[in-house]
Amino acid sequence: MTLLLGALTLGLILSLLAMGVYVSFRIFSIPDITTDGSITLGAAVAAVLLVGGTSPVLATAAGALAGAVAGALAGVIHTRFKINALLAGILVMTALYSVNLHVMGRSNVPLLQANTFATQGERLGQALFGAGPLHVLGWPVTPGDLAVLALALLAAVAAGVMLYLFFRTDVGTAMRATGDNPQMVRALGADVDRYTILGLALSNGLVALSGALLAQYQGFADAQMGIGMIVWGLASVIIGEALTGSRSLGLALAGAVLGSVLFRLLVAVALRWGLNPNDLKLITALFVFSALVLPRFLARRRGGAPAA
Amino acid sequence: MLELQGLRQTFNPGTVNEVRALQGVDLTLDEGSFVVVLGTNGSGKSTLLNAVAGSFFLDEGRIRLDGHDVTRWPEHRRASLIGRVFQNPFSGTAPGMSIAENFALAARRGRPRGLSWALAPDLMGALRDRVAGLRMGLEDRLDNAIGSLSGGQRQALTLLMATWLRPRLLLLDEHTAALDPKSADQVITLSDEVIRRDGLTTLMVTHSMAQAVAYGDRIIMMHRGRVVHDFRGAEKRRLRQEDLIDRFDEIRRREQLDEGAAAMLRELYV
Repeated sequence: MTLLLGALTLGLILSLLAMGVYVSFRIFSIPDITTDGSITLGAAVAAVLLVGGTSPVLATAAGALAGAVAGALAGVIHTRFKINALLAGILVMTALYSVNLHVMGRSNVPLLQANTFATQGERLGQALFGAGPLHVLGWPVTPGDLAVLALALLAAVAAGVMLYLFFRTDVGTAMRATGDNPQMVRALGADVDRYTILGLALSNGLVALSGALLAQYQGFADAQMGIGMIVWGLASVIIGEALTGSRSLGLALAGAVLGSVLFRLLVAVALRWGLNPNDLKLITALFVFSALVLPRFLARRRGGAPAA
Repeated sequence: MLELQGLRQTFNPGTVNEVRALQGVDLTLDEGSFVVVLGTNGSGKSTLLNAVAGSFFLDEGRIRLDGHDVTRWPEHRRASLIGRVFQNPFSGTAPGMSIAENFALAARRGRPRGLSWALAPDLMGALRDRVAGLRMGLEDRLDNAIGSLSGGQRQALTLLMATWLRPRLLLLDEHTAALDPKSADQVITLSDEVIRRDGLTTLMVTHSMAQAVAYGDRIIMMHRGRVVHDFRGAEKRRLRQEDLIDRFDEIRRREQLDEGAAAMLRELYV
């Protein structure tokens, strides 16, 4: 049960990453590797502030903001300096590795003594349900773990709803159109460059928010924690699309959250069954590869036109 | 309304692919005039339209539109004055978004975009009326993705989007060339209706002599990056397709003569 609860909580925290990747990859069609750097940046900024005694809400917000700045920077490099989006992301990600080390002052910041959203959640759980284990469907669960799960759920749902509402406003609609047909957006008087920068800032802000919460949940920030995160995000988005079967905005966002949770559950089960943790990223990469290739392959087998 | 002075544009200068697309174009459009641009392939007519729209910055020349010098304005800024329909029906609409959302974008052309609800109720009401006016049955499908519609339907909607806010200048770039004859007919008729109703200053590029004769109040004929004929007023009204074809033949003959004369001179003196 603890395993299940942990996988659920982690899945919900990383659903923010999945939503961020959805924004860059599905809306703007940019595989934005800045993600790998900005998730660590969010974790690093939040961790350092928390160790210094800043409140968890403020520290988390600062982490997200730092990620948004990094995303905007990748956007500026891509649009204003006409550098390939992939390369712009690689540049910022590489630069962020050093920045993250400078922010943390070393390669790992433990949060064992700090007051974080996780410790606050545990205190909240104990205040509400007492110290003893609760029984959910017959399984013993500590109130603290349950409260942390509830907080993660709250964060994921709040971010999802706000993102959905934002993408239905004038600015949000223009941003979605920018990814769909930039030529048309220019002809209708919107600055494509500006919306791309804004979109990458939003994406990386979400990713860094995810990183800030992840650091607090796992109890440390680490310079290496971002490696391969974009692939995990992609896997979640793809699983989500398979689950909801739709590219409509609301369902796609819900799918990203569900996909992230399901992905974490699958990983937890696989590890429990004795999967070597070292193989995790290899398997995830293979999964994303086949999920991207399979639809086209199947379409060709059926004799139809390949999917775009 | 629109004033073009000495427009010059060379693409890929100094290479084997050098194209002198515009070689000194001067043109003035009066308020409310509907000008048709005709020309051979590679005559620079689409380049002229793109230059006005701001798809690239000119090598030389000035563009004045509605009292503003827009020569150095980027495309999205000029869009506050210009409505535009492209040759490719896929260019003017965002395929993954609904009809209504596409119009929500058009309803803020050249205006600041904020955090207000894109699909505001009053927009939806007005939209249903205007789309019903197309008589294509699309008013009940406003939530459908625009990518699921036919080229003709998309082009008709693009025209409606380009003119949703009255543009100071309407640019039509061979906007019926990619359509089947029936859809092309529908779209050109609709264009003429909208242009007359709103009295829009219009620049329309076309390949079709029939369209050039039937629509508009002035014809500009382009060849090799220059304006070679300008028919207006009574002359334009009298003009028939055969006259236009004669003019094109005349241009071609004159050119062959030039080449023939050049070859003869080369033989004699080189």
